[in-house]
Amino acid sequence: MSIDLFINGLQQGLILAIIAYGIMIPFRFLDFADLTADGAYPLGGATCAVCMLSGMHPTAAILVSMICAGIMGICTALIHLKFRVNSMLAGIILSTMAYSVNLRIMGKPNIALFDCGGLFRENIGYNMLIIVIILAICMIPFAVFLRTDFGLRFRAVGLNSDLARLQGISIRKYTIFGLFAAGSMFGLAGSLIVQLQNYMDVGIGVGILIHGLASLMIGEAIVGNATLNRQLIAPLLGALVYQQVQGIALSFGLAPSDLKFFTGSIVLLVIALKSGGKHVGIKQK
Amino acid sequence: MLSLNNITKSFSGVFEPVLKDINLSLCEGEFCTLVGANGSGKSTLLKIISGEYYADSGNIRRNGDISQVVQDVNKGTIPAMTMLENMALSRMKTPRFSFYKRHKNEIVEKIKSLNIGLEKFVDQPLEALSGGQRQTIATLMAINSGGKILLLDEHTSALDPKMQVMLMKYTVKSVREHGLTTLMITHNLDDAVKYGDRLIMMHKGRIVVDVKGRKKAELKIQSLLEMFHRFEDQSLLHEGGEDVN
Repeated sequence: MSIDLFINGLQQGLILAIIAYGIMIPFRFLDFADLTADGAYPLGGATCAVCMLSGMHPTAAILVSMICAGIMGICTALIHLKFRVNSMLAGIILSTMAYSVNLRIMGKPNIALFDCGGLFRENIGYNMLIIVIILAICMIPFAVFLRTDFGLRFRAVGLNSDLARLQGISIRKYTIFGLFAAGSMFGLAGSLIVQLQNYMDVGIGVGILIHGLASLMIGEAIVGNATLNRQLIAPLLGALVYQQVQGIALSFGLAPSDLKFFTGSIVLLVIALKSGGKHVGIKQK
Repeated sequence: MLSLNNITKSFSGVFEPVLKDINLSLCEGEFCTLVGANGSGKSTLLKIISGEYYADSGNIRRNGDISQVVQDVNKGTIPAMTMLENMALSRMKTPRFSFYKRHKNEIVEKIKSLNIGLEKFVDQPLEALSGGQRQTIATLMAINSGGKILLLDEHTSALDPKMQVMLMKYTVKSVREHGLTTLMITHNLDDAVKYGDRLIMMHKGRIVVDVKGRKKAELKIQSLLEMFHRFEDQSLLHEGGEDVN
């Protein structure tokens, strides 16, 4: 594997880590299997592209994208909470609907942004620094939040919702907050990738959930999830390792069209190794 | 403090109501033990008081928040969280944007007051502790949560005899210190006689025995056992039950 492929993998891994965090928040802290990533990630990208085309500052475009994708997360939460639709089904329905919404926002299936500027430059080191700073701006306050009274209550919702109710914790409010946070992370990742590539395609979200999930699983297989610190490190570490594994596989001649099969196999392998033959699965609400 | 009027509860698919016309009133600080055979409606009654179930008819008046310890320790605690986190969670009626670890010294002192050395596990996940130790923490959480009404559903049943005695003594002492209005379900008739100001026996969804004051103090386990067996004998059952009060 060449050094270029390695460094490129690191950069892609940092963006994938943002998606993995978005998957981890509802999945681990709310016990909510949220599948909105496939819709919220391109929604973030589409919003960012259109905002930049209209002359908005790249940072403002990212914030607008995060809010839009966050609202999509809130919609998933409300569909589940109000109409008692299964959490997975709510995510799938919203992601399907988001495809049409994204096309409406963009007006066409793809948009080039070569003349719009953006946060990134030709320097990959600089770009990685920008992504690390943005990741830190999002995740450090979240890590601090988890150690406050409200954060403890947030974590309790996913770990024991019956006890949380008994303690007077509003499952509804925390679920809505958690899915807004997760959606915002997807939106952030979508807007960053669009600014990095100077290009937005309506199909960028296809299969992104499985990449994020693979990153989370690999990270948890490496560091575990027994403590809060480990839970917070796992998505970042997993995404970086996962991208390198993909890079190695490609350098050994794996066809890019086989990547999704490869990713799915990694997820299954990690789950099988973790379960050690015991029954595992995503708990459905 | 707690008042139930004409409470009735049925479950779909079950012909006979689980609770029939329950009337019960507990004064502030009153400690009441609740006994009865399996299926007599004790746990359902507690779930209606806690708000987990809705009654089909009747009304409930509660003058204070409710704290509860249930039989299943996994429901009453969060095993994946540390002892400190569990305890801190139970003390947060008004959460703040500050670190929950600010409660640590106070929580350690509370755990130390048990005198069983649990304080050394304060930063350990509860799943690393034994079932008895976890139930002790669940009881400690409920007592210190600030609720004025305490509901205990066989909270010592999963413990070994030594831990049972320790936890019962701690519960009684704490209930008295905090002036909690307490309703405790137990299958241990010895505990039901020994502890509390009042004893209620349920049978087939009705309150059939209700003793308090001097009569409760003078109640002997033998006479309680006799009553218990009498109600279990179907041939001696009669509608309306018996009030020894």
